[in-house]
Amino acid sequence: MKKYSDLEFLKLSKGQKLLYKVKSFVCAIPQKILGLFVALWNLIKNACTLVKNEAVDICSTFVHGDWKTKLSFLVMGFGNLARGQILRGLLFLLFEVVFIGYMILAGGYWLSMLPSLGKVGPSEEYDFVLDAYYTVYNDNSFKILLYGVLTIFFIIAFVYTWRVNVRQNKLAEQIIKSGKKLKSGKDDLRSMVDDKFHATLLALPLTGITVFTIMPIVFMILVAFTNYDGAHDGYYSNLFTWVGLDNFNTMLNWNVSSGGGGVQSYAATFGEILSWTLMWAFFATFTNYFLGMFVAMAINKKGIKLKKLWRTVLVLTIAIPQFISLLYVSKMFAKNGIVNGFLMSMGWITEALPFWEDPTWARVTVIITNIWIGIPYLMLITTGILMNIPQDLYESARIDGANAWQQYSKITLPYMLFVTGPYLLTSFTSNMNNFNVIYLLTGGAPTNPAASSAAGTVGYTDLLITWLFKITQGAESQYYLASVVGILVFVVVALISLVVYNVLPSIKNEEDFQ
Amino acid sequence: MKKFLALMLAAIMAFSMVATAGAASLAGTYDITVWVAELAVDLTKAQIEKFNQTNELGIVFNATVEAVSEADAATQMITDVEAGGDLYCFASDQFARLVQAGALAKLGVKAAETVAAEHNADAAAATMSGDTMYAYPLTADNGYFMYYDKSVIPEEHVDSLEAIIADCEAAQKYFAYEMQTSAWYLAGAFFGTGCVSEWTTDDEGNFISVRDTFNSPEGLIAAKGIEKLVKSPMHLSSSSGSEFASGAAVVVTGTWDYETIKAILGDNLGVADLPSYEVDGKSYHLGSFRGYKMMGVKPQVDAVKAAAVHQLAQYLTGEECQMERFEALSWGPSNVKAAENEAVLAHPGLAALKAQHPYSVPQGQIHGSWWDIAKVIGDDIKLATDEAGLQAALDNYYAKIDALFQLDTSALLFVGAWNGWNNADDADTYYFKGSTLTLDVPESDYMGGRIVNPGSWGTDKGFAQVVSGAEYIKDLGADNPDNNIVFAEAGNYTVTINSNEITIVKN
Amino acid sequence: MSEQKLLEHNASPVQKRHMGLKASRTLSNTAIYVLLIAISIIWLVPFVCILLQSFRVESTWQVGYVIPQQWGLDNYYNLFKTDFPRWYTNTFISALVTAVLQTIIVLCMSYTLSRFRFKLRKPLMRLMLILGMFPGMLTMIILYRVLKDLGLTQANAVPGLILVYIASSGMGYYVSKGFFDTIPRSLDEAARVDGATRFQVLKKIILPLSKPIVIYTILTAFMGPWGDYVFAQYISFGTSSGMNVAVGLYRWLNKDQIAASYTMFCAGGVLVAIPVTVLFMCLQKYYVEGVTGGAVKG
Repeated sequence: MKKYSDLEFLKLSKGQKLLYKVKSFVCAIPQKILGLFVALWNLIKNACTLVKNEAVDICSTFVHGDWKTKLSFLVMGFGNLARGQILRGLLFLLFEVVFIGYMILAGGYWLSMLPSLGKVGPSEEYDFVLDAYYTVYNDNSFKILLYGVLTIFFIIAFVYTWRVNVRQNKLAEQIIKSGKKLKSGKDDLRSMVDDKFHATLLALPLTGITVFTIMPIVFMILVAFTNYDGAHDGYYSNLFTWVGLDNFNTMLNWNVSSGGGGVQSYAATFGEILSWTLMWAFFATFTNYFLGMFVAMAINKKGIKLKKLWRTVLVLTIAIPQFISLLYVSKMFAKNGIVNGFLMSMGWITEALPFWEDPTWARVTVIITNIWIGIPYLMLITTGILMNIPQDLYESARIDGANAWQQYSKITLPYMLFVTGPYLLTSFTSNMNNFNVIYLLTGGAPTNPAASSAAGTVGYTDLLITWLFKITQGAESQYYLASVVGILVFVVVALISLVVYNVLPSIKNEEDFQ
Repeated sequence: MKKFLALMLAAIMAFSMVATAGAASLAGTYDITVWVAELAVDLTKAQIEKFNQTNELGIVFNATVEAVSEADAATQMITDVEAGGDLYCFASDQFARLVQAGALAKLGVKAAETVAAEHNADAAAATMSGDTMYAYPLTADNGYFMYYDKSVIPEEHVDSLEAIIADCEAAQKYFAYEMQTSAWYLAGAFFGTGCVSEWTTDDEGNFISVRDTFNSPEGLIAAKGIEKLVKSPMHLSSSSGSEFASGAAVVVTGTWDYETIKAILGDNLGVADLPSYEVDGKSYHLGSFRGYKMMGVKPQVDAVKAAAVHQLAQYLTGEECQMERFEALSWGPSNVKAAENEAVLAHPGLAALKAQHPYSVPQGQIHGSWWDIAKVIGDDIKLATDEAGLQAALDNYYAKIDALFQLDTSALLFVGAWNGWNNADDADTYYFKGSTLTLDVPESDYMGGRIVNPGSWGTDKGFAQVVSGAEYIKDLGADNPDNNIVFAEAGNYTVTINSNEITIVKN
Repeated sequence: MSEQKLLEHNASPVQKRHMGLKASRTLSNTAIYVLLIAISIIWLVPFVCILLQSFRVESTWQVGYVIPQQWGLDNYYNLFKTDFPRWYTNTFISALVTAVLQTIIVLCMSYTLSRFRFKLRKPLMRLMLILGMFPGMLTMIILYRVLKDLGLTQANAVPGLILVYIASSGMGYYVSKGFFDTIPRSLDEAARVDGATRFQVLKKIILPLSKPIVIYTILTAFMGPWGDYVFAQYISFGTSSGMNVAVGLYRWLNKDQIAASYTMFCAGGVLVAIPVTVLFMCLQKYYVEGVTGGAVKG
């Protein structure tokens, strides 16, 4: 493919430019994949070097350090305490005590059970005297997996802290040797609101994210490699255990007999749902975007009165929780709902329109309803941006005789697209996972008979995310299959983001806006 | 630290458990949670209060009664058994799921005998998996029939589906019959033409066989009947009584909607058994499910508490409480004595159920996934354009059942070891699809085998379970420690397994 | 030709064009008014319907007409005989606490990522971008179990819910980071030169300039708990005293309950909508400023 120089590129028309960008992206894919492997190799190499360097440093610290430093290898924070850094020393020591205590009391058990996910399931016993059955519960696979993961996180944190402890002792020793004064606890506290202020600010949010986002995601990924479902819940019914890649094989196999519901393989079902999910995300994002912009422009137009009233009316949809408004809208469009009733009483139709019964009708109706929900948000967002567009641009365009459409396509739209590019991407991906709208409006209906199987009913308006939910709520509660779907959703979203990031370079330049 | 405290607490609890379990007396105060439908909350509270005062065992329940609908209860229990209600109500379609999830405690011997003696036989059978009883029947009215608006449907038309559809279309009124979103309503049509879907479970709730004849000439007739309905522009796939207030003239639903519909239609309310339809000149009556609601006990770790909670469950599902429920909520009793009460017999909804009775089948254990698989038949039929399309809908259904059963109970197989037990290999393994199997037994020195769940050799079935056809097999006595079925001579045999009973027929 | 005439002659095309513009503007404005009125009707219909249903006394189930035959406040009165006040208090408390704590966390996070340049900044942002791509649906089961072990489910669901709402809220830093990015960094640097600590810079300089984004964050955080259904249902797990309005009201739509509670559901819905609507009406201006300052950056 021909490569253009910067000058040649600038001469191209808009369409050609975009085409060129897409082409160069596609052509670069093999190279990029190769690059990925190279990067991966480099990463591994760097990691090895890092570990080696760290090990050498640790050893040399031990060999050359004084007794205080040496003892700190065993008793964390000892050196700090001995050198008068009471606060740091106590924190290190406390952490070590907590860690050892935890490992002895619980962590060791969870870790040892992790490879098997439990050995003894529940057993039912019969009490002859009382003529009653009772249950003796034993190992809990769920907890083993959960706390096993947590313990591993904890061990990583401990190793890191231990390393920091060693490094700090080394530093402190050097500082004392060179005759300078060590930082006191007071200095430490002051640095927390000054040069280390970012660490203070991030501590709480990041802890929350680690415990309540990262850990569950790790757990979710691991579930995809187990047989965790309703009949193997790990405690009350049966233990669950590792099954390797079986679940991926079930989900990604195109062969009907080895994975799927008997009529259509899961892979085909996944493909069907994915294509609708992408279609939905595309329409949901762009219809809202353009219509929202249009409404905002209409309200902002010079000479339009009662601007605040119009906005408030629209904003009501944001203020009222969706579980109320969407459920009502869903009922409105029912076969015997008020929309059909109104149209029939006006004599415009003789037969109820199949808003939720026909696949195409249902898909269009959800997109239209989504416009109803989305326009207010977009209206609010674009209102501000439209005001930010320098008015002299329009002024000069008007002098040049540009009509309204030309002003829009030459000034407003490019400006908007430039400013809201990243927003469009995030709203595309979040629309892919727009659970509420689909679940509350249609619940996936109308049913797609071929795709429905033992893993739950699949409908023509089901998105991957609602399918995933249905799998967990289905008769067999196949969490493992839902987890596989979850991972695949991630892969798809990540791929799309990657492509968009590469095609639209402006998104990457964060500092441009400052 | 938290962990440590929790461990300590657990140890103390375990100790106190051991201490109390020694005594056989049930007297004491127990904290329990009871899940019932919202409508029944107040009544249940009063009933538990009464139990506390009247029982002779000294049991006092400190009960929290929560409103959890029968449909939600099963899903919630399966998500987390521990947090679920100690006593909870559910409809019979959830039974198998709950047993599999370990969410139901078995009934004691005496309790099971009482249930079998006092309740309607079908209802009692619905609470059993294999030979084990897992729940207490609560109602026997979980079936459906037809409500109609007399001002739209003349009384002489209520027997004919075609006439009703024509009336609805003429009046621009809806015919609400949940044919597209619920297997429970849809499957009735198939039962009406003589199709069956019979599933058998073992004592632990595992499905061991299925006999399903939806994909048959009779099934095709049912499909044609359904087609008439779902292709009508006035068909509404709903089973909500309040549809009468939004343009429906007919709603197929159950007794629970009686009061609502009565309030909407007033004097125009009509009830009847389901209508018949005509295919190829022959008339077929629409069938239905005869379902039950039950009350289950969550498995307890403490035998004493378990025994006490079972006492309460027995009381709450007994004659007295069922009568109270009928009086307050019109729930049809499963208790035989209560069901014979005059007031019960006079209730119009229950009377219509009774009229539908001959065309209904009792709802036994059905695989949870079947509900998802069967309900799409309705949509498939609606999409079909000709008879081949209808047949394709049934073929699809069959393929899915087949895939499901293979998935779930590839477990169930006949392992034959024609050349000696140690030579068993895959070639000698026969998979059960359905409950019958045709075996080709070759001439060899050890023509034996048995029905096993791989990985659980303890639960397999063999010689000891053969109830008919013993003449074809050898009784090896003490020489048969493995419970093997050893054929006396080579040939072609049909082996049928029905829960615990094996029948052998020579072909 | 007189001067006067000449002027007229010259002016007329301009004037004519002006006249034409005015006419076309009136025309297009009329069109816009028509459009806006149509939109308002479409947007208001569901709410008006829900409102009307909530005043219907003659029956409690869904009906085919919109305007009640008998008006009254029975549904609202009946609401207070159920657990609704409890659900409402639960939701209100969790919304209030979440609004405060989540705002603090989001602002900490976004301010840091906007203002500081430290080694792990880029990897951190990338990590959060990646984490955001995982569907959160499944992690709810795990969060439920964790909260159960901490004793924060069922009757204690409110603190549990708050914990989960705020714990991951740091991930939603995009909009406010975008806003902070628009505040010139020269302001901070000037203050730093004068000897202010980072904390003082935040308190004295940045926060006073950030009123729109603070209000925006509070508003969105406050709105979240009112509509949360799926997760709140897990956490309350069948215990009425731990439910929020969404879970509690949603139960009334159950098959065996809907005929008896539908109008009450509508009345509940109206009450739920009031606080958020009022807040939104009062703070709309800041919401727009905050979101335009921030959302455009992503």
